Amino acid sequence: MKTMDELKVFYESDLKLKLGSFEKRRKKICAVMLVTVILFLMLLAVVAIVFPGLRQPPQGLVFPGIIGIVITVGVLWFVSRGFVQDFKLQVVQEVVKFCDPSLNYSPKGHISQHQFQGSQIFKHHIDRFSGEDLVSGQMDKTAIQFSELHAEYKTTTTNSKGQRRTQWHTIFKGLYFVADFNKNFSGRTVVLPDTAEKLFGFLGKKLQEMNLSRDQLVKLEDPEFEKMFAVYGTDQVEARYILSTSLMKRITDFKKKMKSPIYLSFTGSNVHIAISQTRNMFEPRIFRSVLDFSLIRGYLEDLQLFLDIVDDLNLNTRIWTKA
Amino acid sequence: MIWIPIGIGVFVVLVAFMMYNSLVGKKNQVENAFASIDAMLKKRYDLLPNLVATVKQYMEHEASTLTEITELRAKATSGQVSSDEAVELNNKIGRAIGGIMVAVENYPDLKASENFKDLQRSLNEIEEQLSAARRAFNASVTDYNNAVEMFPTNMLANMMGYKRRRLFEVTEKERENPDVKSLFAA
Repeated sequence: MKTMDELKVFYESDLKLKLGSFEKRRKKICAVMLVTVILFLMLLAVVAIVFPGLRQPPQGLVFPGIIGIVITVGVLWFVSRGFVQDFKLQVVQEVVKFCDPSLNYSPKGHISQHQFQGSQIFKHHIDRFSGEDLVSGQMDKTAIQFSELHAEYKTTTTNSKGQRRTQWHTIFKGLYFVADFNKNFSGRTVVLPDTAEKLFGFLGKKLQEMNLSRDQLVKLEDPEFEKMFAVYGTDQVEARYILSTSLMKRITDFKKKMKSPIYLSFTGSNVHIAISQTRNMFEPRIFRSVLDFSLIRGYLEDLQLFLDIVDDLNLNTRIWTKA
Repeated sequence: MIWIPIGIGVFVVLVAFMMYNSLVGKKNQVENAFASIDAMLKKRYDLLPNLVATVKQYMEHEASTLTEITELRAKATSGQVSSDEAVELNNKIGRAIGGIMVAVENYPDLKASENFKDLQRSLNEIEEQLSAARRAFNASVTDYNNAVEMFPTNMLANMMGYKRRRLFEVTEKERENPDVKSLFAA
């Protein structure tokens, strides 16, 4: 665990220089963006003057307006791509190594779709799968891997005019964490947020029992845990072997710490944890200074939050037959 | 008009049939869970000779506890005990094992031996699995008891002769905190 003071020292000695050159690049990018926007506005003005007919219903200017916005965003993406990649490889990588030198960071890497689907947390068919910022390594006795993931499915609707519209829906967006679990088991146990019980109480439990798409419902004894989660498993005894009274308490505390929906799955000797999050982590800022210490502190805090999962869930306690 | 009472009749029969099956299912689940506890206990019985053999050479002072474990195990596996007796025997075995594990602190050589460490891991695992099996049993008994006592299944349960079952409970003696000093006494 690195302290803020250690981080400040590291920031002053190692990072500030690198950040300085990135700040220069960032300012250039902002300048390019500003020029693009000004040019486009000038072009719009010229078009409006040269083709007075377009001005009459002002809606006529909307079409070129949209083209302009698309071009602006396109330029931004093109110009900042290299910047983001380099920043991640040089700055974020340093922060990861500072946090723990044994960790590996891959900006473009992510947990595989195979692993994601194998956990059976999200059973929906996936049409688009992407991710970034893969961190992997060994925390004492526990091997871990985590990355940001975004899984989506699409629906195509045909309206009355015969036009087809494709809509994308998010199945999961956030942080996905896989770790070696400290007990041996052979089946599958899935822990999902309990929405039915919250809404419908006793009837909700009945509905959960009848859920055909899931394994058998496992009713556990910890009332706080039961209120937050619904557990489905292939074996009633194994589910309770994994979810001991102490682990249930730890999971409850972890959920309170995260404040966002969490999903767990115990499959194939590992524990998978999906934490729903809308924000994008480990990104540099384009329109604000990158020299800000709070940016670096934010990266470290995020990293530490996920590395702490190993201790939060007591995964390094290896007193059973799994080493 | 006649369809209404027929419809109601069919509906009632269907509901009764579902309730009957649900009660039978829950009763069977209790038997199943009880069998799981038995399976875990058997795993523990199988570990005991290994425990006694590994520990015997080192722990001169614990000879009486080791003999007790061997005797208890023989009795429990003899097949001649009633289920209440079996529960009591297994509680005693559990306490004896616990006593050995605490006493090991006095024998650093034993504690460091690879054999013992492996054994300890296996024992820890079997105790957790036994605890899981007991919790699963209690959950299935609770489910069954709910069905036997709650409306409307309680009417049918009464007709079928299904009665409330006991949960697996810790006895008063076990609830007392163990006297660690006496466990260490030579």
